[in-house]
Amino acid sequence: MAFDATDIVLSIVKIAIVLSFVLSVTPVMAWVERRGAGMIQDRPGPNRVGPFGLLQPFADALKFLTKEDIIPAQANKLLYTLAPAFGLLPALTTIAVVPWGRPFVIPQMTIGGHVLFTGGRLFEPIIADVNAGILVVFALASLSVYGVTTAGWSSANKYSMFGAIRSSAQMISYELSLAMAALGVLLVTGSLRLSDVVWTQAGSFVLFDTIRVPAWNCFSPGMWLSMVVFIAAAFAETNRLPFDFAEAEAELVAGYHTEYSSMKFALFFMSEYMSMATMSAVIVTLFFGGWGIPWYHVPPTFLGFLLSAIAFLIKICIMLFVFVWVRWTIPRLKYDILMRLGWKVFLPLAIVNLVIVAGFIAKGWI
Amino acid sequence: MFEYLVFFVFAAMAIIFALVVILHRNPVVGALSLVVSFFSLAVMYVLLEAPFLAALQVIVYAGAIMVLFLFVIMLLNLQHRHEPSTRPVQQFLGYTGAAAFLITIVYYIGKYAVYTMPAGPFHADARSIGLALFQAYVFPFEMVSILLLAAIVGALLLSGRAIGHRTGIGTETTEEPAGKAEVSR
Repeated sequence: MAFDATDIVLSIVKIAIVLSFVLSVTPVMAWVERRGAGMIQDRPGPNRVGPFGLLQPFADALKFLTKEDIIPAQANKLLYTLAPAFGLLPALTTIAVVPWGRPFVIPQMTIGGHVLFTGGRLFEPIIADVNAGILVVFALASLSVYGVTTAGWSSANKYSMFGAIRSSAQMISYELSLAMAALGVLLVTGSLRLSDVVWTQAGSFVLFDTIRVPAWNCFSPGMWLSMVVFIAAAFAETNRLPFDFAEAEAELVAGYHTEYSSMKFALFFMSEYMSMATMSAVIVTLFFGGWGIPWYHVPPTFLGFLLSAIAFLIKICIMLFVFVWVRWTIPRLKYDILMRLGWKVFLPLAIVNLVIVAGFIAKGWI
Repeated sequence: MFEYLVFFVFAAMAIIFALVVILHRNPVVGALSLVVSFFSLAVMYVLLEAPFLAALQVIVYAGAIMVLFLFVIMLLNLQHRHEPSTRPVQQFLGYTGAAAFLITIVYYIGKYAVYTMPAGPFHADARSIGLALFQAYVFPFEMVSILLLAAIVGALLLSGRAIGHRTGIGTETTEEPAGKAEVSR
């Protein structure tokens, strides 16, 4: 691979944009989560700090920074300190393979007759367009369990330990459903590259000669089963209710992060919301057309890129709200039901869906 | 130049963490070090321009097998007790055997593998691996699947006999934790 200085600069710009998005998810979502909980439970939610409680995340951050950082005497100090980083790393990096806008041709930029930027180069709004994109997502998602297990084990606390054990069992079970559910989409796409997944969902198909429906996978009947399974498994992968067995505050105090305080706890908190945002981005890419705008052909210009990036952001926000909505609507399952659901319901459903999609493709319907 | 830097950093990491796996007394630290070692190997695949293999390496080894190992280690709650060696002869034979194996493998890799590596990037994307598995190597592939199926059936049979009337994997964790854990935050 040959690359020059411009490529490096463009990569740094892309990484800066994506990182600032991922890092700003946590404070925004911390507010949305609480206000959403308040809305659903018919109470105001935090409304003292700032207008509508908007400054609450800042107050929280200040609190995290000033709290005492406690390491239990029995804990394995090295792993106890490293565990939050193990959790944060996959949450931060997964989004690198997700395309977040329409590629556009950079026009030539001149300032006062001086050529600042030679035009004609294609700007692809994705950090790493690898040909195994979706597999990288699964690989990093499967690594996220190490943060939880390491934290739970190294705390030398029985509740934490139970959280860690549950989490690892849950992760192994639901990864399978997640990957199997995504296979249908990949069959239709014929590629593992996430930008190809988006491109196959561009445009629209005509229903009954009158209604134009965007060609998103969520509107294709063969995908409905896998969409439900994928979203449910994504909840399990991100440790969200109704599948948050690593935490399960009603049974395990606070699960794997019972002993954590101060900034170390904040890192777990952050990585939960970051992996939620990443999973939302992956769900949007696989089933809701990625950066595509319905009934609109996005032009390969800067404006088109901007519009498509905003469309992608809006879709992610809707998906994130679904995460919050589900959390405060559906109660936590029992642990054995979770396991039975993963192995005896979701996995067979995903396999059935794979057969259905393969049949559709063989028939030439998709 | 940059690739050399990445290669040497991750090669060193792979070797150092592989050594930690055998030398460290704590089984959980060993398992986590093995994960880091596998991850460093995945970086090698990326450097060979085979991200598909890298992703599979992480998914299969770091994401699935090692999680299972860690699960079992934590479930059994293995302590890192220092056990005095009681069998000096076996210990001696073990060390000599391992040393002989190391010398042999270094010799043969040095003799053959280094020189016969193909110069260009090899084709290791999903398509070519799939075609190879289902065309040239379809018989060994099916044999391995049957072997795995037999292992799964065997495991089910054994666990069914041991557990008897109990229903599933979750039953033991729904009980209260046995110890008197400190409830503090």
